[in-house]
Amino acid sequence: MSNEHYEMDPTPGEKLKAIFKQRDVQIATAWGVLVTFIFFIIGGWIYPSWMPTALSTDMKAIERLIVIFTWISAPICGIVLGFSIYTFMHRHKGDTPPADGPAIRSNPLVVGLWVIISSALCLVAVVYGLIEMNSATAATAENKTSALVVEVTGSQWVWSFNYPEQGFSSHELMLPVNRPVEFRITSVDVNHSFWPVQLGVKVDANRLQTTVVDTTPNKIGELEVKCAELCGLYHTYMETTGEVMSKADFDNWVTTQGGHTA
Amino acid sequence: MTTLDQHASVRPIPNPAKSLITKLNMGTGIIVGVIFAAATYFGLKDEDMLSMQQNSKVLLATMFMWSIGFMVGIGAFIGPVRWLIGKDLTDEEQLYLAGDGQGIKRYFKYCTDHKVVGIQYLVGVMTLLGVGGTMAMMIRTNLIQPGSQFVNPAVYNSLVGLHGITMIIAMIIVATGPFGNYIMPIMIGAADMAFPRLNALSWWVLFTAIPVLCSAWFLGGIPTGWTAYAPLSVQAGPGMNAFIATIIIFAVSTAVAGANITATVVAMRAKGMKWNRVPIFVIGATISVALAIPAFPTFMLSMIMTGLDRSFATTFFDANLGGSGWLYAHLFWIMGHPEVYVILIPGVAVLMEIAPVFVRKPLFSYNAAIAGFAGIAGLSILVWAHHMYISGWMPMLNGPFMVTTEMISVPTGLIFLVILGTLWRGRPWMKLPMLGVYAFLWNMLIGGITGLYLSDVPADNYLHGSMYVTAHFHYTLMGAALTGALAGLAYWFPKMTGRMLNERAGYISFWLTQIGFQILFLGMFIAGAEGQPRRVADYSVNFATSDLISTIGAYTIGLGMIILLWAVIHSWRHGKIAPMNPWGAKTLEWTVPYPVPLVNFDTPPVVTSDPYGYGKASN
Repeated sequence: MSNEHYEMDPTPGEKLKAIFKQRDVQIATAWGVLVTFIFFIIGGWIYPSWMPTALSTDMKAIERLIVIFTWISAPICGIVLGFSIYTFMHRHKGDTPPADGPAIRSNPLVVGLWVIISSALCLVAVVYGLIEMNSATAATAENKTSALVVEVTGSQWVWSFNYPEQGFSSHELMLPVNRPVEFRITSVDVNHSFWPVQLGVKVDANRLQTTVVDTTPNKIGELEVKCAELCGLYHTYMETTGEVMSKADFDNWVTTQGGHTA
Repeated sequence: MTTLDQHASVRPIPNPAKSLITKLNMGTGIIVGVIFAAATYFGLKDEDMLSMQQNSKVLLATMFMWSIGFMVGIGAFIGPVRWLIGKDLTDEEQLYLAGDGQGIKRYFKYCTDHKVVGIQYLVGVMTLLGVGGTMAMMIRTNLIQPGSQFVNPAVYNSLVGLHGITMIIAMIIVATGPFGNYIMPIMIGAADMAFPRLNALSWWVLFTAIPVLCSAWFLGGIPTGWTAYAPLSVQAGPGMNAFIATIIIFAVSTAVAGANITATVVAMRAKGMKWNRVPIFVIGATISVALAIPAFPTFMLSMIMTGLDRSFATTFFDANLGGSGWLYAHLFWIMGHPEVYVILIPGVAVLMEIAPVFVRKPLFSYNAAIAGFAGIAGLSILVWAHHMYISGWMPMLNGPFMVTTEMISVPTGLIFLVILGTLWRGRPWMKLPMLGVYAFLWNMLIGGITGLYLSDVPADNYLHGSMYVTAHFHYTLMGAALTGALAGLAYWFPKMTGRMLNERAGYISFWLTQIGFQILFLGMFIAGAEGQPRRVADYSVNFATSDLISTIGAYTIGLGMIILLWAVIHSWRHGKIAPMNPWGAKTLEWTVPYPVPLVNFDTPPVVTSDPYGYGKASN
């Protein structure tokens, strides 16, 4: 008796198999796989090629994160677009409505599966983000003692950088390679946002408050420093340049600026 | 009927032609408004006007008095005053207020008919979109190549801010205004809104905000963007007062409209329309306005505080004297994040209403659709600080806000499932409204996935404040919500105007705007990934290609929108006369003729099933 009942009511696994045996599901899935593949390529190669050269550990982590997030979302794009493309290809033209389709009101198995898959992908994204945040926090604690301190001050519409350890100020941001740097950021007037683009850090400069952020430049190269928070008339032009340079070059530069090297 | 006849015969029939209400219209409103404003301005003006505080006080008072004066002049307070003195409006006067038999004139009066208010909102929205779109074209023209200097930086900053706020206001009302007022009461089988006078109030209060917003241009513009962050907003010039007054007036309008729509849906549904038989557009619009009711007061509050800081030297946002700029950011984003869903949900709900009609299938999983909307609405009030990851406020809370933000992807996923499930195994009838459903699927997919990067704290460290963010929210607000609203316009145009929308022009416009949209914001995503900050008037040479691509896309959209405007105006006047139910839909609004009778239904409808009974049950 119970065996017969079992045969009449297939398990969710069997139902799922039956779904994928249907021809239209197979074609839509094939479209989905193609779309997923395209998004994999966009995520892995095209997307990172738009971003500027990473000069710090943080920027490298961001590049990796963007690639992985695109890969996580690729199957979502595949499902949505695969099924959209299939239905679009079976569209009805003309001035009269098509005949009624099947009255599918719901399908608990599909809804349940959809919620589980989207939650799982969401969980992966959350966990991965939290891990990256955690490693950034750990690095901050580790760098605390050895970090080069740079006091960044935003004012309408200039950035200035004070190197307290070396005892001088500059309007250019020069950093030695492979030494952690701690930015202490403040503003004397309105909100600005300190953005050394190639370093992958960005923190608001709030009026009379100090915000702290750190990173480790690990590659020699040119830096652009911008303001990422609309700060009034010449916000556009509130930018400066800088460089990540070798320790010897940095010491040289400090001396020419009138600072003292350790 | 007999009781009504007796009622009429007992009381002498007052001639409404002699009543004050017949003399009042938009013109008298403007005259009284200007008198109030002028009296306030010249009454308060003194030699101290050069100080910013005095200047702000006088300008803010003038703007509020204009709004109040207009409402007095158009007769908004006649009803309440008559009620207070114990002489409530008579039935004849009520009928007059509903615009019975007054033709085109009723659109310029304090008219309580929800259909008139719906058309007023439609024209208002189209005007705002046109103004905001023109500003967008000017922004993109300025960014066509490095150093183009089409406008100076002060004008550019104003353009960015005023484009932002104009579009935000337009998008908040784009679906719930025209369709929520015109269509929704008929859809639920009601004779009118629950509070017809409040309905007229919400529109005309909003109307008074438009000249106030425009006055920002003549007062030197706003330098802050639509986010109006303090302390920049506190030190900004007189144009900022116009921004503050606009938001406060607009918040009053949305509160009134939100309460009215919610009350109507709760109390005025036709007999038999249980909650599981309510059309999904009505559900979406209600959830949207219910979300707006708690959200907008915080925006109003933040603007009141900015106004006080400016005109009475309070120090809410002055870090020098114990205030905090973060306080402003919180108040703003506690409104700001629910607000994007206030915009998105009705647009999506329109498309969910459209999809079953054109696929001839029931809406797939009605419950999942409601769960999706409710989940989005519920989570959206817990995510605001993701706009503040890099502000320096409580970095330790970035983790929790990241989790809540990414959780929104689950109810958003349900929305996709509902639409895909509705399309599945149907043969979509490719009329203009249906094209919007497909455009939505693509645009919302891109908008949603790019949101995933922004929700992630480390990635946001790079992307925050860049062109990437601008591209992301245009994909969600314009690509998804505006597409939904325009699909709704094509869908309900026959019911609202009695004529069919010109199909050929509609298709041309659709493809131009959608293709232009992809080009514009693809370019902007690249510019953002390359590291171009948003809201900049100029940029270095390495962003030149992506910005040129964006500007080409923007002009394509502009062309498409002009064609759409032509199609709407031309079809409204000369279009093909529409049959009662051109799409073969099953919702109640298609059971009434055009022009829709004053009380919508001759006999109140009785509902026995939900409106998605398409197709034959297979098993």
